[in-house]
Amino acid sequence: MGRLKQKGKAGAAKAYMTRSVAVKKLQCSLADFRRLCILKGIFPREPRNKKKANKGSTAPTSFYYTKDIAYLAHEPVLNKLREHKAFAKKISRALGRGDCSIAKNLEDNKPTYQLDHIIKERYPTFIDAVRDIDDALCMIFLFASLPSNDRVSPSLIANCSRLAAEWELYVMHSRSLRKVFLSIKGIYYQAEIVDQDVTWLVPYQFTQNIPSDVDVRVMLTFLELYQTQLGFVFFKLYTDAGFVYPPPLDTNRDETGAGIGAFNVRTVEKDIMPASKRENSTKKASTKEVRQAIKNIAAGSSPTAQDVNMDSVDACKTTEADEEFVPHTSAADVDTVASLPTLQSLSATPKFAPTSLFLPYTFFLSRETSRPAFEFLVRSFGGRVGWPASSGSGSPIAETDDSITHVIIDRPVVARLDESPEEKERRRRRKYVQPQWVVDCINAGKILIEGLYAQGVTLPPHLSPFGDKLGAYDPTAGLSQLEASAEEVPDSEGEPVSEDEPRDNATDSIDAVSIIPNDAESLRAAELAAEVSGVEYGTFEQEIQRLHKKQKQTAKSLERDEEEEDMGKMLLSNKKRKLYERMKYGEKKRAAERENLVDKRNKIEREKSRRVKS
Amino acid sequence: MAAAKRDTVRAVQKKRKERDPEEDQKDAFPEAVGLEMMSDEESHGGEDDGDVESDEEVDQFPEIDARSDSDSDEESNWDEEGEDSGDDDGDEEKRTLASAPDSDSGSDIHMFPKAKTIISEVTGHPKRVYPEIEPDYESDSSTEDDPNRVGDIPMHWYDDLPHIGYDINGKRVLRPAKGNELDRFLETVEDPNSWTSALDKNTQMDKPLSPGELDIIRRLQLGENPDAGYDPYEPTVEWFTGKGKEEVMPLSGAPEPKRRWLPSKWEKQKIMKIVRAIRLGRIVGSKPTTAGDGPRFFAIWNEPSSTQPPPLPAPKPSLPTHAESYNPPEEYLPTETERKEWENTDPEDRERNYLPQRYSALRLVPAYDQFIKQRFNRQLDLYLAPRIQRTRLNIDPNSLIPKLPSPSSLRPFPNYRSLKYTHTNGQVRCVSVSPDGAWVVSGDDNGIVSLWEVNVGHEVKRWALNSKVGTVEWCPRTDASYFVVGTEDKLHFIIPPNLPLAVLRSTQSTLAPATLPPVTQASVKWSSTPGIEDGVILTIFLPPTSGLPRQVTWHRKGDYLASVSSSESQGGVWIHQLSRRHSQAPFKKIKGAVQLVLFHPIKPHFFVATQRYVRVYNLAEQKLIKTLMPGIKWISSMDIHPSGDHVIVGGYDKKLCWFDLELNDKPYKVLRYHTRAIRSLHFHPTYPLFASSSDDGSIQIFHGRVYSDLMTDPLIVPLKILRGHNVSDGLGVLQVKWASKQPWLVSAGADGNVIVWCS
Repeated sequence: MGRLKQKGKAGAAKAYMTRSVAVKKLQCSLADFRRLCILKGIFPREPRNKKKANKGSTAPTSFYYTKDIAYLAHEPVLNKLREHKAFAKKISRALGRGDCSIAKNLEDNKPTYQLDHIIKERYPTFIDAVRDIDDALCMIFLFASLPSNDRVSPSLIANCSRLAAEWELYVMHSRSLRKVFLSIKGIYYQAEIVDQDVTWLVPYQFTQNIPSDVDVRVMLTFLELYQTQLGFVFFKLYTDAGFVYPPPLDTNRDETGAGIGAFNVRTVEKDIMPASKRENSTKKASTKEVRQAIKNIAAGSSPTAQDVNMDSVDACKTTEADEEFVPHTSAADVDTVASLPTLQSLSATPKFAPTSLFLPYTFFLSRETSRPAFEFLVRSFGGRVGWPASSGSGSPIAETDDSITHVIIDRPVVARLDESPEEKERRRRRKYVQPQWVVDCINAGKILIEGLYAQGVTLPPHLSPFGDKLGAYDPTAGLSQLEASAEEVPDSEGEPVSEDEPRDNATDSIDAVSIIPNDAESLRAAELAAEVSGVEYGTFEQEIQRLHKKQKQTAKSLERDEEEEDMGKMLLSNKKRKLYERMKYGEKKRAAERENLVDKRNKIEREKSRRVKS
Repeated sequence: MAAAKRDTVRAVQKKRKERDPEEDQKDAFPEAVGLEMMSDEESHGGEDDGDVESDEEVDQFPEIDARSDSDSDEESNWDEEGEDSGDDDGDEEKRTLASAPDSDSGSDIHMFPKAKTIISEVTGHPKRVYPEIEPDYESDSSTEDDPNRVGDIPMHWYDDLPHIGYDINGKRVLRPAKGNELDRFLETVEDPNSWTSALDKNTQMDKPLSPGELDIIRRLQLGENPDAGYDPYEPTVEWFTGKGKEEVMPLSGAPEPKRRWLPSKWEKQKIMKIVRAIRLGRIVGSKPTTAGDGPRFFAIWNEPSSTQPPPLPAPKPSLPTHAESYNPPEEYLPTETERKEWENTDPEDRERNYLPQRYSALRLVPAYDQFIKQRFNRQLDLYLAPRIQRTRLNIDPNSLIPKLPSPSSLRPFPNYRSLKYTHTNGQVRCVSVSPDGAWVVSGDDNGIVSLWEVNVGHEVKRWALNSKVGTVEWCPRTDASYFVVGTEDKLHFIIPPNLPLAVLRSTQSTLAPATLPPVTQASVKWSSTPGIEDGVILTIFLPPTSGLPRQVTWHRKGDYLASVSSSESQGGVWIHQLSRRHSQAPFKKIKGAVQLVLFHPIKPHFFVATQRYVRVYNLAEQKLIKTLMPGIKWISSMDIHPSGDHVIVGGYDKKLCWFDLELNDKPYKVLRYHTRAIRSLHFHPTYPLFASSSDDGSIQIFHGRVYSDLMTDPLIVPLKILRGHNVSDGLGVLQVKWASKQPWLVSAGADGNVIVWCS
């Protein structure tokens, strides 16, 4: 007989640890534990059997892996947190005694910690880090737009806005922006960085206030990590693209509200970066240069002479092929792509085309449009953009510039009587579009017709470029298509009803009845509709009967199907039956949602047509 | 030495200060002594005076020091005072008179000896000379006149005595007269000083407090130092240091050691060590460590990473859909009811955390008020939510359902109700079909046993047995025709009417033979009435209190009959042999309450189902063969396939287990499809069908095909759910039986109906 097994010495009882036990083991406060968990990316686990993991108790607690906690116990940051605790005691003591010099000395030697090793641990490769910067970017952009207060220091906000600007600069220069979505929450952007889709959400330009039910300490801890992570990621991205990191900031311009224009993107010297030299394809640069030159001539002015602010960026764009990040990345990954022509890479290739979508155009933002957002959008797709002085300095193009092709304007049309002839001429030559046009063009990958988006026009709906769930309602599909598919969904096995006569007016008018054939009111409505469309009563009756019959048949077949299904379900194992029922439930819910949307749309269309008729 | 001096000086000063209150009092007196009273308090003139005095006193200290004892010093001073300054003495006496005749003489003792200021003959400076103190009788305070010399004892010792102590002559000091309370009160009213007087315990009288005492009390009340002369801020007196007080003469004649004036070698060595370390850069000047230092990012991913796999990335939030657009298609906008529903649900239960909204222009889109909250929630998810890795099943749910042959290809099976026979009152607990499949006998709870015809449902005969019918079972023999009805403690053998003569004869001879075999069993009695053509011909009286027979089952040949009674005692199971008219209890002892028994159709095996297990016994060898473990909490029904290799067991916990006896003790298949307890199971004797009935009122027909080769698993196909019985009192269909020749089913329900289902 083997050794007796003691309870709680092996298995789940050993592998899991409740949070309070973990805190006790690490000998730190709960706040410190929380901080460590955030920094190290440790999260609670759900044991298979709670009772076994918690020594027979089923009280609701959160469990951590014992190994995770052991991993935390070796963390240098934990020591630093302990040191910080001692430091806090010392300094409060010094301040309480009024020993300012001691307090100052202590403050100067305050223990700080670096998160570099944590970044390296959590993201062993660069790809891992890029894959996980979504949340980091969202937070950085959020804090860049927050006002500072006693809990959120101004330096933190400055750093966040610097990081945000660096990211936008990089995306603009690498032309890696792919999709944009104007939602009610903010603007979603999706960029493709080293073959990873990075999606981030930027709030609209309003002052946000941190609500009271939000724990700022948690957010700040996350922010601490995110700042470090983004710093390293940006460093790698910039140096790989041959730029200097951090990009030098022109404080004068920054103070005048130049936004991203305040940063100078400088390339690293060639001999320092031999890698970038390899990618340096002079041919491409020259063609670009030529094109740019031609455009400038065509525009009839020399923008580079006019605007000094922009020319650092412009010069980079025109003379340096290093900034063309797209060919760079593809060149870097050339062997991997060649050896593994995966489906993803193949489908990704045509996406590269529209990165210079706005290259031939020059935009002017009117003052009510959000300058940072649209400057970023236009410039990431190669366009040139100017803005009035009221939305910040550093506009490379004046409003009177003749090269302007589009004006992005977001206000209703107001007839102006005192227009000078040259203004009229300008108005005639330029296209006035609403901001949604830019975003829709980007998502469509082509320049859309401006007429639909002209100033003061009711806009077409703005759809998400990310699409919806598979099999969800598709608003772009035609109504008849939708109905057909909707009918298919509930009874996929329904036998095709033989239909001798082609569907005509009558059937259309009875569509309404098909929903509820026994309902007298809807029947009358359909009758009226039939009369209006000039259908004889006899044919109408026939149609109704046919429909009834069809409905009965389908009902019967449905019943039978259900019964057979029930029979089949008997033989399933418990686990499989539950799975089956869950799936069926989900299917039904999705179908209901879809049908609801189709119904609504039907109603809206009918309303519309009625209005048109009347 | 110096320290000792200082101590004595302090002591003197202190003494002097103690005197101060009294000196204050003296201010009231003529200024005769004023000049001579040299104390700090009195020298109000200015601090300079004080300083001067202190300086002068310095010179005199050697004298004081010579006397060494301050006490003697004081006393002597006192003496001198008494002698020399008579006028002062008078003052003193006046003061004592004025204050209180019996006041403590202590205040007098401390009169400071008066000093005279004279010009020193040696130095030419003025100096003070104190009068000599002569130690005599007067100098001792013990010479005070004290009326009561009892000492410092608790005065309550004298409480019961007329006297309060003794005077110097040993005479009793009588207790002073004390007025009554009223007098005393009046005294306090009349005497203006009464509130400043206190009881002197020694004399047992009220004595007015001296102004000095009152002053002490006042100071204590104010929280001040009780000593009026104490000055916490008096200037320091430099006794030994300062200008002109340097020691000129060395105390020791030893030559000055080198270490006094040479720099230390060891210090130098230590300093040089540090200097060297600084030069070498081992010690770096302490810069503030926390100051931010410029570029701190570097190519962290250039060096190879560790081999351990990276932690799983956090799941990304789902991407926004069309509904989240600032200008969504109109159909996405919620209706009023949807909006209300959304608002009424808890924020955690909402499917979407926003309501779709529509704005006609981008400039009209407001800030999203939940932005920070939602970001925060995402972070909470990141660090507080347990994560589970799930493989998303991207399969059609219908593919989970096994492909089965269509029921229509497995005909015939009963699928409609052909006729219904109703027992007017009471549940029909049991039903049985005759071996030729033409007759049905059914028994209800009122003791009515009905015999009726399958095809038309015509009742041929009815017997009233006046007792609940537990079971009815037709004998499988074809040459004889009868059935057994189990009622309370009895088994009745009944011959149906209208039998062919040959069959009737053989039946009668079987059940009531002309020559009875000898009676062997005492506890079970067989009694038959020969010559009966239809009706109860034979009754077996089971042992009393064995209860209602729950089940009766025939051996295939129809000679043996097993019965299970509902009593929990050991004698529940009996095997009766008709040919020998003999009953025996096969088990002396059995574990658990027996629910059911069954004969194996071919082999001499006997199945016994207890509450949780099914045991298989070999009757020939009289031993246990195997135990089947269906995993059912309470077995309700059991049947064996005609081939004898398969057993189905049903339980009250809705499960049906199919056992392959060749295979295992564990069920080959467990099915759970009824919503209530399974009541009865039956295999069709010829068709590959079986049926189960349940308390949910439904009957489930299965196709159960068994293959003769051992490799193929039995095929079980559910065919049809028959519904037609009503549920009454939570009971549904209590028994189902197949007709032996046709695929017809007879079912008895708790609603009193017996239904024949036809194909």
